[in-house]
Amino acid sequence: MKKASVQVSAALLLGFALIGGACGGRDDSSSGDSTTTTAGDSTETAFIDPAADCTDYKGTQGVTGDTIKIGTVRPESGSYAIYDNVTKGLEAYFKSANAAGGLPAADGKKYQVELIKKNDEYDPAKTPALVKQLVEQDGVFALVGNIGTETNKSVRDYLNENCVPNIALATGSTQWGDANAYPWYISGLPSYATEANAWVSYLEEVNPTAKIALLYQDDDFGQSYKAAIEKAIEGTKITLVAEEGFNPLAGSTTEASVTKLSQSGADTFIVGVGGTACPLTLSFVPATWTPMTMISVTCGSKTALSLAGGKDQGVYMAQPTLDPADPADQSNPKVVEFATQGAAAGLDESAIQGGIASVGWGFGSMFAVGLKNATTVDRAAVMNALYSLKDSTFGLIRDEVTVNTDGAKDPWAIEGFRIVQRENGAWVEKAPVTNEEGKSNSFAGK
Amino acid sequence: MRDFLQILLVGIGDGAVYAMLGLGLVVIYRSTGLLNFAQGEMAMFSTFIVWTMWSLGLPMWLAILGGMAGGFCVGALVHQVAVRPVGDPHEKPLAVVIVTIGLFLGLNGAAQLIWGTLDRSMPPLFGRGQVTVFGVAVAWQKIGAVIALGVMVLLFYLLFQHTKLGLAMRAVASNSESASLVGIPVPRLLMLGWGLAAAVGTVAGVFIAPNLGLGTNLMQLTLIFGFAAITLGGFDSLVGAVVGGFVVGALSSVMPRYITIFEKMPLAPAFILILAVLLFRPEGLFGKKQVSRV
Amino acid sequence: MSGAVSAEQSAQRGPREWALKVGPWILLFVILAVLPFQFPSFRVEQFCFWMTLAIAACGLNLLTGYNGQISVGHGALFGIGAYTTGILITEFGVPLFGATVAAAVVCFFVGILVGLPALRIKGLYLALVTLAVATLFPLLLEQFSAITGGSGGLQITSPQMYRGEMRERPIRLESPIAGLANDQWKYFLFLAITVVIFVLSRNLIKSRVGRSLVAVRDNEIAAESSGIPVSKVKILTFGLSAAIAGIGGSLFALDQGQLYPSSFTIVLSIYILVAVVVGGASSIIGPAIGAVFYGLFSDVIIQQMPDRIQPARAVILGVLLILLMLLAPGGVVGGVRSLQANFASRKGGSPGSDPDLIM
Repeated sequence: MKKASVQVSAALLLGFALIGGACGGRDDSSSGDSTTTTAGDSTETAFIDPAADCTDYKGTQGVTGDTIKIGTVRPESGSYAIYDNVTKGLEAYFKSANAAGGLPAADGKKYQVELIKKNDEYDPAKTPALVKQLVEQDGVFALVGNIGTETNKSVRDYLNENCVPNIALATGSTQWGDANAYPWYISGLPSYATEANAWVSYLEEVNPTAKIALLYQDDDFGQSYKAAIEKAIEGTKITLVAEEGFNPLAGSTTEASVTKLSQSGADTFIVGVGGTACPLTLSFVPATWTPMTMISVTCGSKTALSLAGGKDQGVYMAQPTLDPADPADQSNPKVVEFATQGAAAGLDESAIQGGIASVGWGFGSMFAVGLKNATTVDRAAVMNALYSLKDSTFGLIRDEVTVNTDGAKDPWAIEGFRIVQRENGAWVEKAPVTNEEGKSNSFAGK
Repeated sequence: MRDFLQILLVGIGDGAVYAMLGLGLVVIYRSTGLLNFAQGEMAMFSTFIVWTMWSLGLPMWLAILGGMAGGFCVGALVHQVAVRPVGDPHEKPLAVVIVTIGLFLGLNGAAQLIWGTLDRSMPPLFGRGQVTVFGVAVAWQKIGAVIALGVMVLLFYLLFQHTKLGLAMRAVASNSESASLVGIPVPRLLMLGWGLAAAVGTVAGVFIAPNLGLGTNLMQLTLIFGFAAITLGGFDSLVGAVVGGFVVGALSSVMPRYITIFEKMPLAPAFILILAVLLFRPEGLFGKKQVSRV
Repeated sequence: MSGAVSAEQSAQRGPREWALKVGPWILLFVILAVLPFQFPSFRVEQFCFWMTLAIAACGLNLLTGYNGQISVGHGALFGIGAYTTGILITEFGVPLFGATVAAAVVCFFVGILVGLPALRIKGLYLALVTLAVATLFPLLLEQFSAITGGSGGLQITSPQMYRGEMRERPIRLESPIAGLANDQWKYFLFLAITVVIFVLSRNLIKSRVGRSLVAVRDNEIAAESSGIPVSKVKILTFGLSAAIAGIGGSLFALDQGQLYPSSFTIVLSIYILVAVVVGGASSIIGPAIGAVFYGLFSDVIIQQMPDRIQPARAVILGVLLILLMLLAPGGVVGGVRSLQANFASRKGGSPGSDPDLIM
């Protein structure tokens, strides 16, 4: 009986394929056809050459007339929905650009941006289907401001094989430094390793024999910090005296870990944890332990720190961007522009001050820079432009931070931080910006 | 040693919360004989009610009372429209499991629709302060949880042992048929039981939310700890829920610390406990032995 | 469709009746055959996912629907099948479908292991234990991240030629037929496997073994006294059910090419159970209907709605489950059956519950 049904199914399988084949096919059959285009620019030094790297290259997909279709994937629901504010900022940027006539490009036209958003709940298992839908059904030109390390990793092979740009990833994982293998990806944040290095450099200055207690999120994000710290303290007198991993999925809090670290004799506490767990960690620190505390930049927004129950007073952070909630930054033209135009595009006061939407605003601005610098409106040309930035800037990056890229040699746009300390609800500069141009990949530990 | 005590005390504080959730589960088990897989979501829902009232400016204690009242209504309503019509859980276990899972999904989705999906922050009832006893730091919040549990147990004791209503509820629990023959309004009492269980869950939620952040997945893991507590204590024993809660809290705090294989799974000791107790002593520590049904 | 068929059935048996009986099937096959040519590749891959869900639900149905043992933890078995497949392919270079067979075997034995305590733990309590398993499983994956990749995911790769050199690349099912894209080939392959599994399950249920499964569900003591080895039947059913769920998980791994713990939470277990219940427990085709319903609902219909009201998905599913239990515990198939029976008895014919119609 078994044999019979196997045979039946084999026959069915063949039958299906025949019937189906006869009933008509898809329009986008993959047998290379004439729709294949080549990138307009012929600079010999271009980082990406689609003619060599892409089969079935669709360089201008998503560009029709004077509109350009952009996709983005972010958590609109689920426990990371706080990052949806990034997308609100991104959307506000495009809205405001559209209202001003559109994004300028090399061909002299101004392009209206149509942003298509998908909700993957920060779940890498859900991302691929949504990204494929954006590319295959909605036909977007590029993805901008996709949120999450694992989510972006889950579509890395797909997007690079299909030569679809993924611009301004909302993650600083050290993996995005591998531009040789994955040239269609470029991060919109500094590398987490560069940030960790900035902490250690500052420690060397103010406390060369620091004893660090490290709490890190036990995933790619937190492990990036851990590895980079271990690498940076090599050859210094700074020691890592205690460390605790924290798994945000295990349903427990950091309370027990913080208690343990507080008894380790450390004089420095580094909090390599994101999400709401970070401010809550600060609130668990016992009154008897007063270390110098460094927090992750992902935790430095007003929105996040409002959850710390007042224990954010005195903490340090490495900061690459302007803070719209900081009175000292509020007269900066970049902040003024964000505040006025963002408000006009529908961001409310708490979103503008919150410090998360402004990040998304920067991602939109990064895409605009790519489009403006590109020799033609073409996927490869935009990526090449972003991989050859010279003294550029975008979004709310601090004016002292230099923005340069050079293909795989220097794939990180943002590599400078200043050190700030929290005093009475605002950040106060403790050390000026140090730029580490082209060095980000070397900070990554193993 | 100090380290051990420290970890143990954190666990005992957590255990008080598991015990609260367990009390609710026991009340439901005793009145309607089912394991309520939606108990955690009911607690989450009413904790959101507390949060709403508090963020509208009510004092915390009033918000909690309001949340308990809201939870009571949700519990009673759920029993009337969904649980009662399905029938006896031991006759039709699949149908009952499906209904409680339906409630689980429904309440979770409803909370997302109403309150959105952002984690809300709730202030700890007893503040963030700590006292240090013999070199071990204990958070006031943990002490508060144990006190709240004590008050709750006392109230339950008074209700069941010293009021007519409690007597009637016990009669329904031990034999609903003869209870209804002597004129006790059984359905109304069952509804009351569900309402009470949900109200108790509210307090558990209020203690958990400040630490985990109040989101719609607040209770999904905590619920399993609550079940472990009542499995150990005995499904029908209130005392058992309390003892079980403390044991489970202590185990799941201490074991992941000292046994590497549990490092990332504080839930594993609770699971092993559930399995072992059901296999070797299904009535738990304090439960009544069940005569196997045919 | 079937009401008319069954009414006719008692009246005449002839070519017309045969055509009516076979017609719907032919129509179904034609639709299934045309589908992958009408949709873009991501959609076809979603269809493949629905099939893996249907397979897992078919396995759960044998256990819960026919044998009466409740499991809220089949998502974990699905996950074990998926991770076994991924690890065997990536670490040990096992060929793709060889890994599927291995996954089925591994899950069979895991199922037996889970089935042993289930001899003593029954009904609601078994549901509790399996619920705990389902909740624990993603944490297990984290704990053993050295082999599973933890929350960083498991990329299923094999050595392939890429840009002129051998590299570890994501696995892919290459279509051997010109004109048939890879995803379309995958679709037909999965469809064939799904059909085989459903046909074999149907044959099993109609056999003597199947009758003893049902006898154990209906009354253990009566079954015992009529000579059915109750314990053996229950344990083997658990094993078989787990093996089928494992095959579903294995195909899921081949479909996705990468695995994350977040795919295997309690939610997956619930959805497999939803597929069984919506389609109709104790009907063979029920789980497939349930899986397609769930897929359509959650991957197509809900995606059309504004993001803000997407959580309504859970509310709708929850309410639907409760209503089903109150109004039509037999699910879609049960509903059709009772309509059929009503129709037939009104016409004065015999109640038309020929299982062949349902498959």
